[in-house]
Amino acid sequence: MRGALAPLAVAAVLFAILPMGLSMAGSGYLFRLADVTLIFCILSLSMQLITGVAGLLTLGHAAFYGIGAYTAAILSTRVGLDAGLTIPVAGLVSALFGVLIALPTMRLVSIYFAVATLGLGEMIYVTLLNWVSFTRGPLGIGDIPPLRPFGFDLSSPLGTYFLIAALAVLSLLIVHRIAHSYYGNALRALREDDQCADAMGLPVVRLKIEVFAIATFLAGIAGALWAHTTGYVNPADFRFAESILILAMVVVGGLGSIPGAIVGAALLILLPEALRAIGEVRILAVGLIMFLCILFLPKGLFGEVAALDLVRRQFGAAWRGGSAARPLGWR
Amino acid sequence: MSLLEIDHVTRRFGGLVAVDDVSAVVEEGELVGLIGPNGAGKTTLFNVICGFTPPSSGEVRFAGERITGLKPWRICRRGIGRTFQNLRIFPNMTVFDNVSVGAIGRLGIEPFESLLRTRAARVRAAEVSARTWQALERTELAPYAHLLAADLPYGRRKYLEIARALATSPRLLVLDEPAAGLNDTETAELARFIRTLHAEGLTILLVEHDMSLVMSICQRVMVLASGRKIADAPPAVVQQDPIVLEAYLGTEEPA
Repeated sequence: MRGALAPLAVAAVLFAILPMGLSMAGSGYLFRLADVTLIFCILSLSMQLITGVAGLLTLGHAAFYGIGAYTAAILSTRVGLDAGLTIPVAGLVSALFGVLIALPTMRLVSIYFAVATLGLGEMIYVTLLNWVSFTRGPLGIGDIPPLRPFGFDLSSPLGTYFLIAALAVLSLLIVHRIAHSYYGNALRALREDDQCADAMGLPVVRLKIEVFAIATFLAGIAGALWAHTTGYVNPADFRFAESILILAMVVVGGLGSIPGAIVGAALLILLPEALRAIGEVRILAVGLIMFLCILFLPKGLFGEVAALDLVRRQFGAAWRGGSAARPLGWR
Repeated sequence: MSLLEIDHVTRRFGGLVAVDDVSAVVEEGELVGLIGPNGAGKTTLFNVICGFTPPSSGEVRFAGERITGLKPWRICRRGIGRTFQNLRIFPNMTVFDNVSVGAIGRLGIEPFESLLRTRAARVRAAEVSARTWQALERTELAPYAHLLAADLPYGRRKYLEIARALATSPRLLVLDEPAAGLNDTETAELARFIRTLHAEGLTILLVEHDMSLVMSICQRVMVLASGRKIADAPPAVVQQDPIVLEAYLGTEEPA
């Protein structure tokens, strides 16, 4: 992502070559696939900020995605709010929950934070599932209107694709500017050693809450896009397994790397689709790829930090006892 | 008014009194050593000064203002820069990025500034960059700026920690056992470097386990033993002090 050529190339592929190719193929399925891939790019980029850059292992990211989706679903079906408003509002509501959850949990150290996000994520899922009068529970919410922001009809496959691509590029820009600035250096310092960062004058808790708010805002946007393009939301789409999928994208792509988050998302969405022919075994194939990746590509495709190192540090002294941990070379 | 005033500080951990009613001062422009045998309470006292451990009683004042109870980052922004005993560099970041963290910490950072690339953000970034390069030049690390910190030779990592602390633009630099793990040649080089920093006007508190470094460069030496301050005098006087010798070498057992 250096120089002016890379962004230009990304823009050309996203806004010209890809939509042209998809239009010629003329398949709604391929457009849908491109949409889902881009939505997950937003999700993996936002998690990259929390986990890859700031080093906070979060296991509840799908919950914020779900909050965004349900916010958009409820506002557009019950209040009749325009999609031009439901999308930003979904981001803000998700970020609000992000801050509310971050306030107490950011004071937790290491693995306790991961466990807390896991628990809170499941609580949000259970709430979506059981608050039937508000969320219709396991029935889900259907008939969510397609994307017609401010009277512009973007409900065609091409229109929808362009809006999602534009928002994905905006997310990319936000994450890129945060990660590749001195602010990003401060976040990386938290990942490396937050106690030491504290001694260097960084307000650790404040920084963690800020980065969590920014990332959950983007996850909420992704959720709203999912709701409007699927037309239907169901709690099952925002379970723990979905958080793990997003985490896997970040890990395979490489912690701390922006191209990594994008490639990881594309790989883990498109690969299972490409392997549809071999049936349910494809899920196994994906698992195998992740396993091999952690074994042979400890830093993922483009990562700054080995995923195992990050996890090992989450466990702290409990893990460091064995000599097996040494060769990976942390400290 | 002294730059740093430690006023009757006591720190207990359960029944253990790690620091026992210690009072001490560091004057502006001084190079002071704090020594003591293992378990004397040096690190605890250090942590009380930097805000990592609150004192059980007593208080610490810096430039006349009370800093006890402040978080470490606030104490850093008041002007106390520190290094760590067991090297705590950021291994997966470059040397430049490591040092920039000190400058960022001192100057502060705002997310929306970076996001919108406002004028204020550019001014701040230029200042961070200037302070980082200055700290790299002072520690002769500039040629390594774009190397990953983990790839830096061990001896240089000490200077990386010092550079990061210098980038916080401290009025007082507190070094925690900087000579640990260095051989005699490297220790001598470090001694020269610390003297240079002091000559340039920096106030330095040197916490050391090893006597020789402190005795050779410090103007004044404080000695801790079992949590108490047992001496506070120029090196020549401390070296002759029977109480200090006893603390370091132990009493002679009757045969």
